[in-house]
Amino acid sequence: MSKSIAEKKHWLISQTELESWLDGIANARTLIAPRQVSGIMRFCQVEKSDEIAWHGKTQKTKLASRPVMSIKEIFFPPTERMFKIKKNRQEIHLEETYPDWETIVFGVRPCDARGVKLLDALFLDTNPVDSFFARRRGNTTLIGLACKDLGPTCFCTSVGGTPNDSHDMDIMLYEKDGDYVVEAVTEKGRFLILSGEWKETDLGSRQFNDKEHFPVPEKGRWPEHFNDEYWSRISERCLSCRACAYVCPTCRCFSVRDEIIKPGEFERIRCWDSCAGENYRRVAGGHKPRAEKSERLRNRFFCKFYYYPEQYGLGTSSACTGCGRCIDVCPAGVDITEVLMDLEKSA
Amino acid sequence: MNENPMLPYLGKLVEVRDLASEIKLFRVELQDGGSEAFKSFQPGQFAFVSAFGLGEAPFGIANVNGRGPAIDFAVARLGSVTTGLHELGEGDIVGVRGPLGNWFPMKKFKGKNLVVLGGGIGGAPLRPVIQYVLDHRNDYGSLSILWAARHPSLLVFTDEYDEWRAAPDTNLHLTVDSPDEKWDHNVGLITQLLEKVSPSAENTITITCGPPIMIHFVTKMLQEKMGFPPKNNYVTLEARMHCGMGKCGRCNLGEKLICMDGPVFNMEEVGGLLETFL
Repeated sequence: MSKSIAEKKHWLISQTELESWLDGIANARTLIAPRQVSGIMRFCQVEKSDEIAWHGKTQKTKLASRPVMSIKEIFFPPTERMFKIKKNRQEIHLEETYPDWETIVFGVRPCDARGVKLLDALFLDTNPVDSFFARRRGNTTLIGLACKDLGPTCFCTSVGGTPNDSHDMDIMLYEKDGDYVVEAVTEKGRFLILSGEWKETDLGSRQFNDKEHFPVPEKGRWPEHFNDEYWSRISERCLSCRACAYVCPTCRCFSVRDEIIKPGEFERIRCWDSCAGENYRRVAGGHKPRAEKSERLRNRFFCKFYYYPEQYGLGTSSACTGCGRCIDVCPAGVDITEVLMDLEKSA
Repeated sequence: MNENPMLPYLGKLVEVRDLASEIKLFRVELQDGGSEAFKSFQPGQFAFVSAFGLGEAPFGIANVNGRGPAIDFAVARLGSVTTGLHELGEGDIVGVRGPLGNWFPMKKFKGKNLVVLGGGIGGAPLRPVIQYVLDHRNDYGSLSILWAARHPSLLVFTDEYDEWRAAPDTNLHLTVDSPDEKWDHNVGLITQLLEKVSPSAENTITITCGPPIMIHFVTKMLQEKMGFPPKNNYVTLEARMHCGMGKCGRCNLGEKLICMDGPVFNMEEVGGLLETFL
C-alpha cells in the first residue's frame, strides 16, 4: 500500500538527480549555494548547479569544510537599506523598501542553521519584530547538508550541536554511498520535493565521525570569570580587527547611518559592526567605557556565553554554534576553544 | 506602529533656540501618526531624532507630557548628526522615532522628597521630572534641584530657573567648575554642592544624570556619606545606541541593555550588574 504524499518523508536521489533538481530551482527562483569566488568559498547566487563547489569537483573543498562566511548574511546582510529619503528643500519623503524575493539556500550546514535560529530569538521573538529579517526569513527555504566529519576547527558537538541535526532546516540531505537521502523537515520544504519522481526510502543510519569534546564553562559559571586577569593576557594577541564578529553566525551588532544615493536622495542603512571596535561604546562627550582591548574581547565572549543567552532567553544554551570560523579567520591566533578550555581549567 | 520600527515619524521644528553654548533646544511638532505614538510618553523616555541625510541619534525627551503638543530635545553639537541638527531652523523637518525605554516611576515617588542632580546636558532628561513635579506639586514633598556645569555658559534651561524657584517647597542650587566675573553662585563640583546642601535621606528619592564620572561620585557620596539606600538613588544612563529596541547590541551594560532595561535604573539594579557604566 502506498503512502500519501504528506506521509512520505525520505527519498533517495543520485548526484545527477540532485543537480537537475537544483537546476530546476535555480531556473525559477534565487538559488544560493556554496561557490568558489576568487578562490574563496562563499554562499552566493548560482544560475546552474555546476557552479556549486561540489566535493570532488573542486580539489580545494573538502566535505566538512564550510564557506568562509555563514548564512547570516542571507538574512542579515552586511549592509541593508532601512528606507529611502527624498529631500527637496523643506520637504522630506520617506520611501519604504523591503526585500521581497523567494530564496532557496542549498548546502546549509547544521551549525549555520542553528545560528539563524539563535538570531530569531533577537530579531523575531523580541518585540518589536525586525521587519527585514522577518521578510527574508519567511521568504527563504533552507536545504541542509549533513556533515560526516568535523572539520579541523569545528567543535559543534562541544556546544550542543550535531553535524547531522536537521532541526532548523526545511529539507535535509544526508550523503549515502555517493547518493543522497532527502528528508522533508517542514511543510515549506515539502513544497520543493519532487515526490513523484524520486524513490522513497528510509532514513537509515546517520553516523558521523565525532572528535573529542572539550568542556565549556556552564552559563551560570561565567560571572565568576569576569574579573579574571586572564582577559588581559589573552587580549594581548587581539588586534581589535573585528573579523571574528563578521564571520560569526550569531554576532549581530550593527550601526545605522545615512548614505547619499544622488543629490536629494539618501538611504538609511544598517551595517555590521562589532564590540571589538574602539569607538563602539563611546558615549556623548567622548567618554569611552570599555576602553581596554581586554574589556572588549571579554565582552564578545560574555555576549556569546552569558549576555545574549540571558537577554534573549536561550536558557542554558550559548550563542556559539561551534562552527570554528573565528578560529580560521583570526590573524592573531585567538582561539575560542583555547579560551573556553583555559576558563574551564582556571575554575 | 509602522511595520518597519526603524522608520521615524516626520516632525516640524516649531522652535529652535540656544539653550547654552553649543546646545540648542529643538521643539518638534509631530505629523501623521507621530502625535498618536507619542501621546503617552513618560518622563525619562528617549527618542531618536533624524537629521535626514546624515543619520539619527538618541536623545532624552526634555519636556513633560501635557504642556502642549510639541516634544523638546536638547542637543549638544558633538558629532555629524548633532551638527546637522544645529544647522536646521524653524520650519525644517526632522524625524522622530520613539518613545523608547523605561521611565522614572513618578507615581511611585508620590509623597517623597525629591533631589534632582543634573550635570551639563545631563539636565535635559531631568527637566520633564522637574516639570512633572511642578505640574503635580501637591503630590510630592520638597524638591531640591542641584544643577551643575563646567562653566556658566553651559548651564541649561536658565530661563526657567525663576519658574522653578517660585514653586512651593522647591529650591535650586547652582554650581560651576570655572566661574566668570558675573557668577554669584557656588563654585566647585556637584559633589561639593551636594555636601553643602546635605539632603536628608529620610523619605527621599534622588535622580541623577550627567557624565558617567559625575553619576559615579554623586551616587557614591549619597550612599556612603549620606545614608541613602541604593534603591532610592535613580540614574538615567546613556550609550551610543543605534536602534533603541534591543537589536543593535551597542548599549549593553553587562547582561542588561540600556535601551530595553533602562535608560532609568536605580543604583541597586546597577550595582548588581557585571559591568560598571564608568
